[in-house]
Amino acid sequence: MASKRKVTKQVEVESRLFAKASASDDEWEPEDLNMFRFLRRVLNHIDLAYVATYPPQECGIATFTRDLSTAISKYTPFSNPFVIAVGEGADIEQFPKIVKFQITKSDPQSYVRAAEMVNNSAVRGVSLQHEYGIFGGLDGEYVLKFVEKLERPSVVTLHTVLFNPGPNQKRIVQELGRMCDALVVMVKMGKEMLVNNYGVPANKVAIIPHGVPNVHRVSAATIKKTLGISDRPVVSSFGLINRGKGIEYGIQAMPGILKKHPDAMYFVLGETHPGVRHNEGESYRKELLQIVADLGLEKNVRFNNRYLKLEELINYLCATDVYITPYLNRDQIVSGTLAYALGCGKAIVSTPYLYAEEVLSGGRGLLVDFRSPDQLSGAVNRILDDAVIREQMETKAYKYGRRAAWFNVAIDYLDLFHRLCPRPKVALGKDLKVSQAESRKGQSS
Amino acid sequence: MEADLDMKIRKVDDIPVVDLAGDVDAYTCLKLREAIVDLVNEGESRVVIGMSNVNYIDSSGLGTLVGGLRRVSEKNGGLAISGATPQIKKVMSITGLNKVFRVFEDEVKAVRSLKP
Repeated sequence: MASKRKVTKQVEVESRLFAKASASDDEWEPEDLNMFRFLRRVLNHIDLAYVATYPPQECGIATFTRDLSTAISKYTPFSNPFVIAVGEGADIEQFPKIVKFQITKSDPQSYVRAAEMVNNSAVRGVSLQHEYGIFGGLDGEYVLKFVEKLERPSVVTLHTVLFNPGPNQKRIVQELGRMCDALVVMVKMGKEMLVNNYGVPANKVAIIPHGVPNVHRVSAATIKKTLGISDRPVVSSFGLINRGKGIEYGIQAMPGILKKHPDAMYFVLGETHPGVRHNEGESYRKELLQIVADLGLEKNVRFNNRYLKLEELINYLCATDVYITPYLNRDQIVSGTLAYALGCGKAIVSTPYLYAEEVLSGGRGLLVDFRSPDQLSGAVNRILDDAVIREQMETKAYKYGRRAAWFNVAIDYLDLFHRLCPRPKVALGKDLKVSQAESRKGQSS
Repeated sequence: MEADLDMKIRKVDDIPVVDLAGDVDAYTCLKLREAIVDLVNEGESRVVIGMSNVNYIDSSGLGTLVGGLRRVSEKNGGLAISGATPQIKKVMSITGLNKVFRVFEDEVKAVRSLKP
């Protein structure tokens, strides 16, 4: 029985590498274990720790962390990664098992303990996601307590790079740049700002695109049938809804779109951001619904007030003819939703925030002024009216999206970690499994 | 879903060369897997996978190649990769699969490597 359990476990590990390709008769039989052992010996191992928010927490960075760690794990099937989740006092048992430790956001000592836990583990490198709001202290400065104590190479992915930061915000990024081994940004403009505005050495900054799901192109018409909206032009926006999304301008653009495309639909997909809901309830969404009512758009604007599963989201995106991000913050340096739309090969219209300006260059989309429903409707109509332009835009977007597929982004991160993390000549610290179990138990109170 | 992998099989010095064009990923790798299974079932034990026109490969694609290697190894054969682009070589090197597969830029060398 013990032998059978061992084989079953090995099959599980192997299937992570083989994924769907081995689901049937490729499974290891006991006589194949020589190959398994050979692979375990020769494939590269790298145990990484991820420090960030993590699902079921609802925020873009939590999703990013899950997607990145999952993508990297598929290439490192014999490694033991774990996550240190940053949250406010929630029970660690709410998280999946990959989360072995929790940093209590408002407790500075918790950051120190997390670093000590990493230092005493077999982890070779740390991937830290940075956004001011996810860490405690003024402007999230407690993150520095973790980095100060850390004795492993660290790669910080910056989800916000402010063009005009406050003094403390600037200090935090500069300190991260000084103490960490590499900073990752997702567009060239991010690197330019880090070098020119923050004084971070250029050789410490890597550009790795925001990952996107692996989606193969499918005709919008096919998916529209499954959603019951056959033949209707579809415009959409998605994400955790907050005032910065500028959804009201998307709604106000609809009358101009309907003049030329009377059946057009605008889908606003996603629930209200939990932080916004905590602070102001559903007041923003109510304002949006009022605009819909005032403009008589009830049949042309549809809200889906839920946190959508990836599959649902991809379906809506694939059914979309024009994706729009009418966002309001010029400084926004990354947008996961826009990245996903590119990954699905969509024609896109956006306001010119920094991320959109860069990723939509070269004909991958159209830019319109901030707070301009007229320009927005004009650009959407231009795409809906001209199949050639639309096809060109979709093809260019898809090509960009393939390069940014998570499986490619994972290789970029692994490349960075392999360069930064020396292979240990002797075992590091305690046995990882023991220390993870101990820490998980210790943090559940 | 649209399958973005084209495949052609030809023979060089009696060894089948599977030319791939496109992406080898979770959506397309079954096509490659079936081709290798068919070749082995037809009695082939030495196979070259031509990857000069492969843009990207993911873990499912790598798994398919390892599965193919396992199949031909059972027949005391071998599997070589030819025309690997810098991106494919990078993936092989980062994962460690460059220690598992014989990877060649040149097809002639790949074929020759499988000759007894």
